[in-house]
Amino acid sequence: MADPTTRRDPGQPAEPAPAGAPRWVKVFGIVVIAVVLFAVVLALAGGGHGPGRHLPGGDAGAEAPADGHVPPEGGHG
Amino acid sequence: VTMSAGVRKLALAIHLTVSVGWIGAVVAYLALGVTAATSDDADTIRGAWLAMEAMGWFAIVPLALAALVTGLVMSLGTRWGLVRHYWVLISFGLTLFATVVLVLHMPSVTVAADIARTADLAGLQALGGDLAHPGIGLVVLLVVQVLNVYKPRGMTRYGQRRQRSGASRVEVAGERVGA
Repeated sequence: MADPTTRRDPGQPAEPAPAGAPRWVKVFGIVVIAVVLFAVVLALAGGGHGPGRHLPGGDAGAEAPADGHVPPEGGHG
Repeated sequence: VTMSAGVRKLALAIHLTVSVGWIGAVVAYLALGVTAATSDDADTIRGAWLAMEAMGWFAIVPLALAALVTGLVMSLGTRWGLVRHYWVLISFGLTLFATVVLVLHMPSVTVAADIARTADLAGLQALGGDLAHPGIGLVVLLVVQVLNVYKPRGMTRYGQRRQRSGASRVEVAGERVGA
């Protein structure tokens, strides 16, 4: 059911089309897309990220067991 | 839902405190990261990593979650709304993004801190300093801060529809009162 408080007379002009996004939003969107693309390229070229990326085995964050325990190099043996 | 003036001021005070506190905590974390990346002293690097882990879990993560929740409360409880103005929507999106990345990143900081407890100087220096995540995060938080202070103009299509329907209701109500 239509809201009676917003009903318009038939002779009344139609509502104006909504304004598009302002220029700052468009510029912001372009910058964000550029930054995301740059980050993706860096991640693909660098082979991972994070503080453990210099450790043997690559990104510690991605490869660590769920309990956070990292065995010493060469294992416990 | 619109908050009363007193509740709104309290919510705003909490939101400002935790948001600015989050930025300050990230700056302190970066200082420790730089120390970890540049020091030649094993105890200093080890101490920096242990402090970074504690600061991350016990200060930065709680501040981030508090900023996210209070930002949501502030937007939904005031005339700004969450999706009516571009600056609010973008600000919330960036805050959510920063919080998610932070929570996903912290386990790797814990792993690095665990390694730092027993590693020798070469192992400690191999850890680096974790500068990229907090550095980018700080830039994101500063963008959010600028948006929140300047509140640049621009309403979403939803916001424009809500504004028009609100104006129509006021117009109709005025006609009824005048009749």
